[in-house]
Amino acid sequence: MQRIATTVRLNRSVLQFDDAANARLERYLAESASLLEGDPDPQEILGDLEQAVADQCTRRMRAGQSVVTLAELEPALEEIGSVQATGNGSAWPHPPRTAAPRVLQQVSEGAVISGVCLGLARYFQLDVTLLRVISVLLLLGTGGAMVLVYLGLMLLMPYAPLQSGGTPIRWLPAKCRAFMEFLRVKLGVDRPGKIAST
Amino acid sequence: MAAESKLAPIRKGLLEFLVLKIVGAKSVYVPEILRSLAGTEFTTQEGTLYPLLSKLRREDLVQYEWQESDAGPPRKYYRLTDAGRAQLAELDEYWSLLNRTIANLGH
Repeated sequence: MQRIATTVRLNRSVLQFDDAANARLERYLAESASLLEGDPDPQEILGDLEQAVADQCTRRMRAGQSVVTLAELEPALEEIGSVQATGNGSAWPHPPRTAAPRVLQQVSEGAVISGVCLGLARYFQLDVTLLRVISVLLLLGTGGAMVLVYLGLMLLMPYAPLQSGGTPIRWLPAKCRAFMEFLRVKLGVDRPGKIAST
Repeated sequence: MAAESKLAPIRKGLLEFLVLKIVGAKSVYVPEILRSLAGTEFTTQEGTLYPLLSKLRREDLVQYEWQESDAGPPRKYYRLTDAGRAQLAELDEYWSLLNRTIANLGH
């Protein structure tokens, strides 16, 4: 029996394929080309894939072997995998340029006392536990003066609108929120409608 | 794992970021990129990587140059352009922001 081999140019490499391998190779490349339909630069990618096929097959050939068979081609194609078109849109969601401005607000949901630490953590993008630990240390270190700072912030920082379906508000934060809203109306710190809006 | 169907698109979306990161570290050719990702959650194949690199090159984020190899034909070595470096920094920062947001929500 005489095996007929086809000489194939794969990008920068030239290899010989037997009939079965040649047919399989043509099928793979045709399939890749159809998967890349719509890609603005299919020729470049097909060229890269051809080179990958050539490199993978060469690596799998025994010393002295001159013709690529399915025994080399199948595992090579398996390793390369079928073409995954990327589409035109970026896969990465870009941060919106017109994001809502960051505002310093108390956050009632998940708060321990009134939500000052949670609000500061959101605003400065810090870990809330770290802020709470620092606050407690400052409370102890300043002999209680930190309480005044906290109360001041409680009075001045507006409350973030409640997110329905979020973490339920615990008793203390709810009381703080209600009391501060009452106090602000009394003192005229903020307009009541603005605070209560959800 | 039931969560797998939700994780797959996340990994897919992150691949581009990771490729920029790898190419940003040093000039590499495709088998090196594959080796860096092999064994991680982001194991990928040439069939995925070449279309992605072609897109990144079109967006002027990476460029390549041919380098002779000891065995076989010359290889394409990819590296970041200035625009690629800028985008990598932006993505890196956005990724940290996402992490912090996720860590802070639901407390």
